[in-house]
Amino acid sequence: MNALLSRRSLFKVAGVAGAAAVLPLTGCGSRAGVGTDGVTTLRFMQNKPEVVAYFNQVIKDFEARNPDVRVVQDYNEGNFVPSLVRNDPPDVMTRGFAKETADFVHKGIFADLTGLPAASAIDPKAQELVNSWGRYGQDETSAVPFSLAAAGVIYNRDIFAAHNVAVPETWDEFVAACGTFKAAGIAPIYGTHKDSWTLRQGAFDYVTGGTLDVAGFFSRIYAKGAKISQDAPESFTNNFGPALPQILQLAAFAQPGAETKNYADGNAAFAKGQAAMYLQGPWALSPIIQANKDIKLGTFPLPATNNPADTKVRVNVDMVLSIARHTPRREAAERFLSYLLTPEVVNSYNQKHAAFSPLKAAPAVVDPQISGVAAHMAEGRYYQGAGTYFPPSVPMNNYIQSLVYSKDSGRFLADVDAEWRRVAERTAI
Amino acid sequence: MSTTLPVAQRDAATTSPEPGKTSKATRKGAGRIDPTYYWMIVPVLALFAFFITLPALVGVFFSLTNYAGYGDWKFVGLSNYVNIFKDPAVLQSYVFTFGFAVAATVAVNVVALSIALGLNARIKWRTGIRTVFFIPMVLSGLIVSFVFSYLFSNTLPALAERFGVTPLASSMLADEKWAWLAIVVVTVWQAAPGATIIYLAGLQSVPSEVYEAAGMDGAGTWRQFRSLTLPLIMGYLVINIILGFKGFLGTYEIIVGLTGGGPGMATQSVAMKIFSGFTGGDYAYQMANAVIYFVITLVISVIQLRLIQRRGVSL
Repeated sequence: MNALLSRRSLFKVAGVAGAAAVLPLTGCGSRAGVGTDGVTTLRFMQNKPEVVAYFNQVIKDFEARNPDVRVVQDYNEGNFVPSLVRNDPPDVMTRGFAKETADFVHKGIFADLTGLPAASAIDPKAQELVNSWGRYGQDETSAVPFSLAAAGVIYNRDIFAAHNVAVPETWDEFVAACGTFKAAGIAPIYGTHKDSWTLRQGAFDYVTGGTLDVAGFFSRIYAKGAKISQDAPESFTNNFGPALPQILQLAAFAQPGAETKNYADGNAAFAKGQAAMYLQGPWALSPIIQANKDIKLGTFPLPATNNPADTKVRVNVDMVLSIARHTPRREAAERFLSYLLTPEVVNSYNQKHAAFSPLKAAPAVVDPQISGVAAHMAEGRYYQGAGTYFPPSVPMNNYIQSLVYSKDSGRFLADVDAEWRRVAERTAI
Repeated sequence: MSTTLPVAQRDAATTSPEPGKTSKATRKGAGRIDPTYYWMIVPVLALFAFFITLPALVGVFFSLTNYAGYGDWKFVGLSNYVNIFKDPAVLQSYVFTFGFAVAATVAVNVVALSIALGLNARIKWRTGIRTVFFIPMVLSGLIVSFVFSYLFSNTLPALAERFGVTPLASSMLADEKWAWLAIVVVTVWQAAPGATIIYLAGLQSVPSEVYEAAGMDGAGTWRQFRSLTLPLIMGYLVINIILGFKGFLGTYEIIVGLTGGGPGMATQSVAMKIFSGFTGGDYAYQMANAVIYFVITLVISVIQLRLIQRRGVSL
């Protein structure tokens, strides 16, 4: 009897699973996804597992106002590419925007959001950060920004005050500040070189972004395709070469033994006041505060030249919103996306998570942890990190780590130029 | 079917006469192979074909295209294969992987054989000590390597500084020249118990009489080991070397946990390179790499099988 029961329930499970598998196939009509009770179920993929609670609340509020729509949150971004392979992407999604997402845009994965009324509230400068990567069909809007992160130098205000150091506005002042801390026996910068990505996002992106026209460089080298060589005017050697000594100088301000420390070590050590500065973005703020809630932090953009007017901040398009191009639930998806773009949702999210709102009418940022970069953000004095422009098949983090350890600039430039050409040849980027 | 026979026969009087027929048929065809064996093999074969062979063939197919893992693709012929041979990063990963596999095989077998000899001797608390030595085997490689990563990065440099051993004061993992050694050490720590078990089995199969005879002839311990133990357990040695080498060629998780392929590109194994194709939009290219690597391991396996057969050992 028992066996019979379990067998019957097994059939039931199999039946449900089978129906679930068949549903997306048959469900191409306009009424697809609408349950028998008239409720449309949207799948919402969200790229930040640490803010699940926030979006659960947003979804609850949205569902209260739209009883005919149910939203299911999926915060496992690893499901995204498999969902494309299955031809069943989530209806609405958030993603970080850089090379990888831009590739999806070029493949026509996302719906065109041009003319969506809610999108008109977005600051064109912020929208341009997305559009500059190339648009599908020349003029489509495949993604709208939701949250911008401004990465600079996180500093310990107490240590700065104790040694009478003001926030440096030129490279020379920065070097002098590092000298002051060193003389006082304090590590100027906490280095976490074991995690190679921290070198890329910190020393590499800050110096190249502050001294070069990164976006221009990459649009030229991408245009050149596989015809690139080391002595071409578009090559890394001829553009990044002059920045390398400064990158090495910056990396050398780290505490001794930085090669053995990773990002988690860095957050813990910086929270304990073991260094004056930390080359990290706002995502490091909350782990640091968690380790020491009394620490007073601030952020300033790294001055990479001696002209304060040149100083820019590294911006990360942390979250963009998109709709799947072929979703049969387009209307409900647009309603949900528009709700996400309302000032209450966007602004309160960004305020809560030490990020910047991309809306035209964003309230002034008063959070002392990031207010040091607010003016730069408001004036559009920012760049996207050079590291974000590389196709993922170029192991840039490893090359940068190698450069910092071996200090061999010649080899680094030759390697990166050669690797770029090989990838361009085989993928025709 | 035939497994239900005894029950069926017992109930033969009340049920249909069919079971009786079946039993007769089975008895008649005694020389035929019992279908049960097919029932044991066919599902596994089907699963293997569907989940291993078929995807592998799909991978071979896509290695001839420029497929990124999704989206459009077109045939590019053998150019992926040609490009692999021109890619110094891939070639470096081959050099590293083979060097590592050789070093790890030698080290694992030396260590495992020494441990097995020790554990086979009449020492105190032998069972307890054996258990301790086998613990690394049940731990996941990824966890082991995270723990060792901490030890290499923090504990070892701190100790070295205390005792003034300057070469060790900076982490081995951060040194492009020596990171491989740390990986070999952890691999040995994790792989030695498995090899030790095989050696122990071998040592226990050697009858004690041969040692008594050798002792009477005046052979010393080293002589006994070289001229008796080693030849008698040679089959086990060969098995360990072959299984070990094959396993170390696919090394992945320990490197991911310890160095992540760094510092720089110093410790990228072939398996890591291949896997990077899934995340890097380089799917087709790394599939070509995987096909090449498959052929290489296949050739090595065939050579090793030949060697085994010559030794009269069968796996």
